[in-house]
Amino acid sequence: MGDFFRGIIRSSSFFRKEIFEILRQPRLVATLVLGPFLILFVFGIGYRDQPGSLRTVFVTPPNSALPTQDIERYMKSVGSQLVYVGATGNLDEALNRLRLGKVDLVIVEPGDAVSTIKNNQQAVFTLYHHEIDPVRVTYVSYLGWLYVGVVNQQVLRGFAVQGQKDAVNLHVSLQEAHQNLSAMRQAVQSGDQALAQQKQQQLAGNVDAVSLGVGTSLGLLDSLQQTQGINGGTADPAQTTLSDLQQNTSQLGNSTDTKDQQLARIDKTDKDLSDLDAKLAEFQSIDPSIIVSPFRNETKSVANAQPSTADFFALAVLALLLQHLAVTFAALSIVRERNVGTMELFRVSPLSAAEALFGKYISYMLFGGVIAAILAALLVFALHVPMLGNWWYLALVIAAVLFTSMGIGFAISIISETDSQAVQYSMIILLASVFFSGFIMSLDMLWVPVRVISWLLPTTYGTLLLRDIALRGIDPNWGLLGALIALGLALMLISWRLMRRLITTSE
Amino acid sequence: MNIPDTNGERNIALASPAAPSQPQPTPVEDSVISARHLTKKFGDEFAVQDVSFDVPRASIFGFIGPSGSGKTTTVRLLTGVYTPTDGDVSVLDRNPANFSQGERARLGYMPQLFVLYPTLTVWENLNFAASLYGMGLFRGKRLAGALKFVELYEHRGKLARNISGGMLRRLSLAATLVHNPQLLFLDEPTAGIDPVLRRKFWDHFRELKDQGRTIFITTQYVSEADNCDLVGVQSNGKLLVVDTPQGIRHRAYGGDMVDFRTTQPFDFQAEAMLRSLPFVRAKTVRTGADSMRIIVDQANSDTAELMGWAQRQNIQVKTVEEYMPPFEDVFVELVRPELSHG
Repeated sequence: MGDFFRGIIRSSSFFRKEIFEILRQPRLVATLVLGPFLILFVFGIGYRDQPGSLRTVFVTPPNSALPTQDIERYMKSVGSQLVYVGATGNLDEALNRLRLGKVDLVIVEPGDAVSTIKNNQQAVFTLYHHEIDPVRVTYVSYLGWLYVGVVNQQVLRGFAVQGQKDAVNLHVSLQEAHQNLSAMRQAVQSGDQALAQQKQQQLAGNVDAVSLGVGTSLGLLDSLQQTQGINGGTADPAQTTLSDLQQNTSQLGNSTDTKDQQLARIDKTDKDLSDLDAKLAEFQSIDPSIIVSPFRNETKSVANAQPSTADFFALAVLALLLQHLAVTFAALSIVRERNVGTMELFRVSPLSAAEALFGKYISYMLFGGVIAAILAALLVFALHVPMLGNWWYLALVIAAVLFTSMGIGFAISIISETDSQAVQYSMIILLASVFFSGFIMSLDMLWVPVRVISWLLPTTYGTLLLRDIALRGIDPNWGLLGALIALGLALMLISWRLMRRLITTSE
Repeated sequence: MNIPDTNGERNIALASPAAPSQPQPTPVEDSVISARHLTKKFGDEFAVQDVSFDVPRASIFGFIGPSGSGKTTTVRLLTGVYTPTDGDVSVLDRNPANFSQGERARLGYMPQLFVLYPTLTVWENLNFAASLYGMGLFRGKRLAGALKFVELYEHRGKLARNISGGMLRRLSLAATLVHNPQLLFLDEPTAGIDPVLRRKFWDHFRELKDQGRTIFITTQYVSEADNCDLVGVQSNGKLLVVDTPQGIRHRAYGGDMVDFRTTQPFDFQAEAMLRSLPFVRAKTVRTGADSMRIIVDQANSDTAELMGWAQRQNIQVKTVEEYMPPFEDVFVELVRPELSHG
């Protein structure tokens, strides 16, 4: 029998041993399979894709400009996140309720807001909360921003409504202007310069009245057009039309003009008046809410599926769990041999470091692979997590995650003196993975040098690759997969060198 | 020096020899193990100090010493688990640190403690050990044979954690023997084994020796030294003596012991004459009214001289026979000076 074949037999001793040892612990196997599945299952049915609502009390100053019903209405506009529980004039009482946990948020309305605004300053709504969770604090700030946005929108809407009401009066002035212009045309045509002069003056009065009123109303429409960048098109901005109108009306009184020139100016003025009339009608027809909030957004995905939050996290959980399983099993493996004393036996026997590691790699790969297959099947067929890609690619990525994680585990195992030390190191890897692998937050939120840690963790690669395959239905990023395997090979080399030292170097 | 009486109940004080010095062996031509000035220190503590000996091929070398005397450390030095702090060691003509896989396959090592897996069955543990030595796939018969030898075959399906300490020792021994090694290092293989099975073990060790295998064995059962071809006595990390069991007895008491029994009680005059005989090496000890224990140069030749002297003195001799003191007593005699010096 050749040395190679003997080496295979020696490696196989570990393969059988590890598998038997694991199978002798059915509770462990059941926990490894059912534990994550149940966690994901409960998470899937229990997770609500909405943040919690905040019981909110309002503090209104004595000279408040906001009636209680408006406060409630504005809060409802924000959404169900703010639950109105009452208003009070006493800030201390409200803060006391906040500290006692009876309310979640106190919004203090600015006192004498009108004076503050007149002084060219913004009036401030102050939000008090009792949160210590930074995410919740951000959430409260966001809700405050939303609420103030609603209030500002309501103020602007008031302006728009007022402008539309004012536009009714402007119609009257414009009709008079039309009539005066028409009379002036007849006077010019009949050569009655005195009457023409008189109508020109009346027209000028009409135009001045329109100029004063139209600014506020059509200014909003102009702003909208400017925002859209269409002021260079066929339609002139209302302000331009108004300026032209004022200029023409004034020049109609110019006595040096010939009759034809005067008629031409009258035609131009008539057109401007008609334009203004049309614009006012258009302005009046628009809902004031649309005028003050003309844009909204809609998001549409071109991805092949739109997974739920639970689906999205399921694959990260799978990657994290497989990494932790492989790291822990491998980490305990060699340190246990040392503690049991078998390492002494290995040193005397013909076993080499490579044979021992190879046997352990194969056994844990097989065991981890079976666990991964069961978990993946449960995720897809029981929890209905989308699986749009190729199953073989999924298996390849899982194998790479297990392989690389085992390298970490074996390295830990060889440098650990005791079981508890190995478990501690494994827990540190788990903790690092939770924070740095993109499991909780996106990698983009990490400072670039810190991301080095992320790229040393198999979960980082596993999460990205598994999501690509299962949720996007695309082939794995081969560069990323190659980097994961390269990391695994490097760790295997390190483990082998450490193991060789452990087996061959005597004390 | 203490010589035990026949019943082993009473010790009679005799002169103590000086503490034995470290023996320096005469090189053995066909030695399998050769240690020269072997020393191992852990920190400032000597675990093994200046130990030299040879183990001839196809012999049983017993390494005896009290707990903590450095027996296990010596075994680890010989198997390459430890590197010596000083001195040289050669096993199968190689430094154990440089053993090839093939050379390691010729060794069998049974550590002092059970080092297999509690969650595997007896059979699986043995199978694991066999695989470690690269035994072929059709090894079932050999595994069964090893288990039958240590009387564990009936228990082959039991988990190791569910069998007794003695059974674990037997399993360890089976795991050491299963690949049929040429050189065996057995660290206290008979600890916790019942006397009947112990006897069986020693019978098997002798069989292995007869087949040409060499066995280096440590034991705390001093009486087992009689089963060895050579015995090394170790105390406080120092090797006190290496000799045959008979040679060691001789060294311990300064000669061979003979029990001299007469039909009538001894008188003082006769006793004085006996003590003055030239081949009587040390003081005689009266062990009864009609019996004395005498230390002579050589029991074989001096017994006849003793009979002749009795005949000349008209003393009716009932029995004259060599007395083999228990090895426990021999061991105590050897170790005592070392302990008192230490």
